[in-house]
Amino acid sequence: MPELDLAPIRSSWRSFRAATLGPAGRRWNKARSRSWDRLPNAVRPLAWLGASLLILAIPYFDATWMRMFFLIGLYVTLGMGLNVVVGMAGLLDLGYVAFFATGAYAVGVFGSPVSPHLDVELNYWFLLPLAIGFGALAGVLLGLPVLPLRGDYLAIVTLGFGEIIRICAINMDDWTNGSQGLYAMPQPDLGFRHVDDVRAFFVMIVVAAFIVWFVTSRLRDSRVGRAWEAIREDEDVAAGMGINTTRYKLMAFAIGASVAALGGAIFAPWLTAITPGSFTLLVSINVLALVVIGGMGSTQGVVAGSIILIGVPELLTFQESKDFLENFGWLRSILNAPIDVFNWVTHLGIESLPPSDEWGDRASDYRFIVFGALLVLVMVLRPSGLFPSRRRQLEFEAPPEGSIARDDEAVI
Amino acid sequence: MTTLFLAGSSAEFWADQVVNGLTTGSIYALIALGYTMVYGVLQLINFAHGEVFMVGAFAGYGTLMAFGGDDISGGMVALSIIVALLAAAAASAATAVTIERVAYRPLRNAPRLAPLISAIGVSIFLSHLVDDYFLNGESRYYPQIFPDGDISLGPLTVSYLQLFLMGGSLLMMAGLYWVVQRTKQGRAIRAVAESRDNASLMGVDVNRAIIITFVLGAAMAGFAGVLNGLYYSTIRGSMGFIPGIKAFTAAVLGGIGSIPGAVVGGLFLGLTETVGRELLNEIPGVNLPNQWKDVVAFGLLVLVLILRPTGIFRQKVTKRA
Repeated sequence: MPELDLAPIRSSWRSFRAATLGPAGRRWNKARSRSWDRLPNAVRPLAWLGASLLILAIPYFDATWMRMFFLIGLYVTLGMGLNVVVGMAGLLDLGYVAFFATGAYAVGVFGSPVSPHLDVELNYWFLLPLAIGFGALAGVLLGLPVLPLRGDYLAIVTLGFGEIIRICAINMDDWTNGSQGLYAMPQPDLGFRHVDDVRAFFVMIVVAAFIVWFVTSRLRDSRVGRAWEAIREDEDVAAGMGINTTRYKLMAFAIGASVAALGGAIFAPWLTAITPGSFTLLVSINVLALVVIGGMGSTQGVVAGSIILIGVPELLTFQESKDFLENFGWLRSILNAPIDVFNWVTHLGIESLPPSDEWGDRASDYRFIVFGALLVLVMVLRPSGLFPSRRRQLEFEAPPEGSIARDDEAVI
Repeated sequence: MTTLFLAGSSAEFWADQVVNGLTTGSIYALIALGYTMVYGVLQLINFAHGEVFMVGAFAGYGTLMAFGGDDISGGMVALSIIVALLAAAAASAATAVTIERVAYRPLRNAPRLAPLISAIGVSIFLSHLVDDYFLNGESRYYPQIFPDGDISLGPLTVSYLQLFLMGGSLLMMAGLYWVVQRTKQGRAIRAVAESRDNASLMGVDVNRAIIITFVLGAAMAGFAGVLNGLYYSTIRGSMGFIPGIKAFTAAVLGGIGSIPGAVVGGLFLGLTETVGRELLNEIPGVNLPNQWKDVVAFGLLVLVLILRPTGIFRQKVTKRA
């Protein structure tokens, strides 16, 4: 059977797009082919196969699997948003959870009947843009005072901001119902279908992720993206070249923040109830870690990072893994050895590990030990991430013989 | 004017707040020293420093329990606390050196975010190792062996323990300052902080200087761990996180890289978050619960960074700092 040649169809589709969308279409073609061509040849059909199999299989997975898929999708979305701030503009943000919480609480405060101060219940499709707008506003509000700061100062201020938002959510009882949180979230209604089960939410987050991917990759390859890159490499030189650094940094903050708010606005109805406990520093750390571990600036990296850092630990909480863990009873005496030594030296009477049939219930605690060790391991083995973007790879790996040595300073 | 403004509370109340603020502040200051020194030398936010502090607290606890826990009395109290402080310093230093070896040294020339992420990894690993592997999520409590009693001076009342905390930490900080300013190793640290390459060209063993920096900073954190345990009693695996963040804030407030700055920043932060919150509460209609002291602390940080980005003690700040 002769191989089906799709090239003419594809190229005519491209020229159609270029013609109808004008310069925007041409740029789209370029952006699309660029990120696609970066995948190694062998991976491409596999990626297609995997994606289509996954979509076909959605109805067959049970709720725990869908929960995992949803969380991966959510963190892919958040990761792409943070990628704009950290990867493209080079602004280290450790308080990303603040914007995520802003989006979720915007939906909660204006949409849930529980919010004590505001007794309104607005339609979800009105709340979604509202949440994104609030997120962008929060990004600009945080961005304005911290713009003059660089590097690590920025990191610590944003970290503080993330904590402040959480404390506000706990203490502003009149709006957020304090630590009891808000429940009875409004559900998105498509007219023909109510988005109320895990599968529908998964489809929703995939659509959101795709939109975010489209917007951010278009931005990256545009004038704005080049301005961010220039600021990341050297802010003073960028300003010298006539780039309005304030404007572009604020823009990066606002776009990153609105993506996080979008994530939060989908997260809130998915969870049906939000409490301040869902918006801890761990969210910021997770997102930053998956961006860096995946490889800053690359979309494949964000997906890989989410699967490793969000999917795998989630997998550990499955009943199957709990049952599986029971087979490792023989490990108990080995794992207890350090505790025994400790007790022998210090007489502190530390309890030994529980028997292996209880490990499953403790897995949600134990996974953080694995998570922490994993972060160190990946960073030590591959400091530029699993899928470094091409440009950064050139930047960080040893320069070829005879070339000019890289500048150590311009590295964030 | 002042009396009108502070009409709601007595002088004793405010004196108490100041003493409490200075006590927490001196713990922050001790931890901040480790941040500021490591940052000065490596330009790295040592996110695992809070966990080094936690290890020190547990080492001190183990020592006190070995001495007999709540049964310690008489002359043994002083001895056991001194041994606990030394053990904590040693355990913290050993932890910090191991962390440096495993998680930071391989990444010394990597992109700047890489050591930051591995530092966060170490922090999560250690706090959960202690909490979930060793302690099954439980807390431990320091034996209450420090002699009760207090000294009164007018409206000012200071307990012996608070006096010991403030005096002890000042003494340790003075010792550290002496080491850094007057000894050969201290000079090596300062040289590496100024320029790693140049120091290396001048014959300074850079790796050694970095390790000594970690040891000194960790020893301070270990002391702080024991003092914190004696003062607040409760210790757990996750105890290092908030003081760690606060101490970093203190280091930034004082001007990161500066040792006197860290001390002043720590005391200032301790004072602001206790006294500052109460002052805000004096405004009619404002009632901030205790948790808002973190908001006050971070709000202060943002303000200082905007108004005086190099901290109270202006350091020569490089472009990227």
